Amino acid sequence: MKQLISTTINGRERELAVAPNRTLLEVLREDLQLTGAVEGCGVGQCGSCTVLIDGRPVSSCLTLATNVEGRSVTTIEGVAPAGQLSAVQQAFLHRQAFQCGFCTPGMIMAVEGLLRDHPGAGEAQIRDYLSGNLCRCGTYSAVIDAVKDVIAEVGAARDKASAG
Amino acid sequence: MTSLGTDAPRVDGPAKVTGQATYTADIVLPGMLYAKVLRSTMPHARLVRVDASAAERILGVVTLTRDDLAGIDPYYGAVLKDQPVVAIDRVLFAGDVVAVVAAESRDIAEEALDLIEVEYEALPSVGDPFAAQAPGAPILHAERNTPEVQFLDMKSVHFQADSNVCSIYHVAQGDFEAGYAAADHQFDDVYTVPTIQHGHMEPHASTAYWEPGGKLVVHTATQNPSVIRTQLAEMFSLPESMVRVIVPYVGGGYGAKTYPKLEPIVAVLSRKARRPVSLVLTREEVFMTAVRHAASVRIRTGINADGRIVARKVEATYDTGAYADIGPRTCKNGGYASGGPYRIEHQDLTSYCVYTNRPPSGAFRGFGVPQVCWPYESQMDDMARRLGVDPVALRRQNLIHEGDTFVTGDKLIAIGLDKCLEQVVEAIGWKGIESTRPMPSDKPGFVRGIGIAVMIKSTMTPSNSAASVRLNSDGSAMLLTSSVEIGQGPHTALAQIVAETIGLPLAKVTVTFPDTDFTPYDQSTSSSRTIFSMGHAAQKAGLQIRDQLFEIAAKQLEAAPGDLEIAEGIISVKGSPNRSLTIPQAFRAHFGTPVGSLFGAFDFQTTGGLRPEDGKGKASAFWFLSAAGAEVEVDTRTGKIRVLRAVTSVDTGKTINPRQCWLQNEGSMLTALGSALQEEMVFDNGQPVNSSFLDYLMPSMEDYPDEFRSMLVETPHPEGPFGAKGMGEAALGPVAPAIGNAVANALGGIRLRDLPLRPERVLDAIDAAATRGAAARGGNGGEAAR
Repeated sequence: MKQLISTTINGRERELAVAPNRTLLEVLREDLQLTGAVEGCGVGQCGSCTVLIDGRPVSSCLTLATNVEGRSVTTIEGVAPAGQLSAVQQAFLHRQAFQCGFCTPGMIMAVEGLLRDHPGAGEAQIRDYLSGNLCRCGTYSAVIDAVKDVIAEVGAARDKASAG
Repeated sequence: MTSLGTDAPRVDGPAKVTGQATYTADIVLPGMLYAKVLRSTMPHARLVRVDASAAERILGVVTLTRDDLAGIDPYYGAVLKDQPVVAIDRVLFAGDVVAVVAAESRDIAEEALDLIEVEYEALPSVGDPFAAQAPGAPILHAERNTPEVQFLDMKSVHFQADSNVCSIYHVAQGDFEAGYAAADHQFDDVYTVPTIQHGHMEPHASTAYWEPGGKLVVHTATQNPSVIRTQLAEMFSLPESMVRVIVPYVGGGYGAKTYPKLEPIVAVLSRKARRPVSLVLTREEVFMTAVRHAASVRIRTGINADGRIVARKVEATYDTGAYADIGPRTCKNGGYASGGPYRIEHQDLTSYCVYTNRPPSGAFRGFGVPQVCWPYESQMDDMARRLGVDPVALRRQNLIHEGDTFVTGDKLIAIGLDKCLEQVVEAIGWKGIESTRPMPSDKPGFVRGIGIAVMIKSTMTPSNSAASVRLNSDGSAMLLTSSVEIGQGPHTALAQIVAETIGLPLAKVTVTFPDTDFTPYDQSTSSSRTIFSMGHAAQKAGLQIRDQLFEIAAKQLEAAPGDLEIAEGIISVKGSPNRSLTIPQAFRAHFGTPVGSLFGAFDFQTTGGLRPEDGKGKASAFWFLSAAGAEVEVDTRTGKIRVLRAVTSVDTGKTINPRQCWLQNEGSMLTALGSALQEEMVFDNGQPVNSSFLDYLMPSMEDYPDEFRSMLVETPHPEGPFGAKGMGEAALGPVAPAIGNAVANALGGIRLRDLPLRPERVLDAIDAAATRGAAARGGNGGEAAR
């Protein structure tokens, strides 16, 4: 028996009819064709399916779709307005912080969560926060550099604003 | 401006950072069914009964069992066709494919799996290569198929009958026994590495359907579409032209996605279902589908007091698991590399590829070499310690150089290993023999040490890569290639090669995804061969186009073709930049209007191969050379090792895109770090017990060393495009022994010989050395620590 839920996906209010056993990841990928979040392990151990719920990163493979009733979900597809890139995406591009790209959307969403919670994070905090997002291509150093770039840009912009 | 040798931005970047990159599991076809696999619960058993009738009764469910194999050759395999689509008479490992169901949804498929009845009759199983060779051991493949002649290099491998030894490779020079006996010092050690997991983030995925005209179409996450096409064509007795293999982005493979994996299953099942069938594995299933060979390596080395290594004998026994896959080649290549990159007069090298009741082992980044580099580079440091010399100096003294003859008979060219070693020595801060002593840590109970290691590795030889380049009338070009974009960046690097060769802006060059209906044959995206082999083919194809352009432009510019040059899409007379022609203008001159296209195509086959009688000839089209250095901190109370710094140097021949090379090196280093410290697949009575990322720990960002640096040297190879060789897996081999040597130096010479270097092993080794030390003090003499 399907259940009707109201939720916000990438800024757009949605009414979704979902079976109670379906995960958010399945609904995103199969019903909404938002295939950026991917399944690497299916049990919340790799981070490839990370999306934001009310701004916090979660494993969408472990989240039942019915649990996002009344909440706001952001996926990689909604992290920036159409045709634009978020600061994090730009930094990933600039640093080439990806190889096969399979973990990349989840990694970027985790970074979005990190910067929201800890906008001035140091390297130890970056590593700790992102340790749940596995990358076997071994692109961690480029990811760390990309995160540092964003933090430095935000810091510079803030300094400029306060100086002016 | 030329893009060659620059950090040209990756063309797949925008798709990958926005989540728009398509992987196989993203492909949904009309009417597609979702498949699930029923897997063996036993490591070895006779299949008494497989009954899928109850599952078949569910509306929309289609099942595949041994009863559905009529009219096809049910066996596949890269070297030996020993693996059936589904188990026929026996299962050979816990996880072997017993039956498959396809249904409208994965939920229904899982329900249907529960309805399949299987009756097993347990058979004795063999859990390692030595048990497999014991008298009375059950023979896993009594009826051995004839080896495939598809791969010429398999001629030098000796396949065994009536034995669990699948194949043996042997090569020798000089007289080991005499050389070993005459040497001043003898070393005889056994080293082991366990079964490990590739850990590609994208699970295996394949989707197949049959067109009405009888053509089989497969979308699949594979590293070698051309080989998949051949294997499926043979399975269904189809011409290769009736099998179409399409590969979108692939989310990592590291060898696990070479040769058939899921493609035979979805092909057979979709034929029965008459609908597209998609199969995406769970992570637990990925652990059972492909693994890296565990190995046990006995290495005997004779060395003289002056530091000259004179004799070496290696017997490397690899666990290839239940099916051969590409194991015979993996073990062959590991075999001839097992003596290391050293000038040794007397060598006797043998590798054994042995069947066991374990998941099939196949290609894994490093391809058989990390298993032997661990022993020879660890023993190297032990020998230096015994001789009281600097282990780096010992390496310098014995290292191979340009122009040397390798044990296989290869004349070694483009050998920059000495440069790699010196780069690493400098970067890690090696200070000679003083660096072999423990370094103090500011934390009580901790010690530090640094270590160095080097490696040599071959590439698949001979092998074929064909490329086709099309230049359009607007000045844009396409490289049609079956090389797979699996993360290593060929869509960017091959485009750089084509742009440089023709003289086009990089942005004007596009590289296709593999589609065997349109893209020419390529043997494999593996063996770090794409830039060397496909790059060579692409360069030659591009040169044909450039020559055609010059022919056309010569008439217009009233100059000899040889007097022309082209850059950024503008053809001009050398020294007279004003006498120039754009590509659209050249097309207009040639065709009357800007229509049509210019073609270039080239099929590059590397030459070589080894003779069956002595395993010699030409093993490799080029050689991978690398060095690694590591600094570790060991907690002597808990045995925990932390790698503080790791550096590698790799000889690229010519670096096409430095950033991509660095990133690939870091990937190799990270996998090596995991294999050195923590990764091991564990089996209990043949059952895998840690098939998840929670129980099988791959390095995360927290395990990342403080300094992790990769460096490149360039020793150009005459056949490589612009001198480039392969490099993607070169950094992996020497990292684990560099860490092991650093640990030994931190602990005053205590040597661990079994990977991974788990804390309890470190503690046991410290305890054992203390016991030996006490016994030595009490017993008046003996060696304190080996």
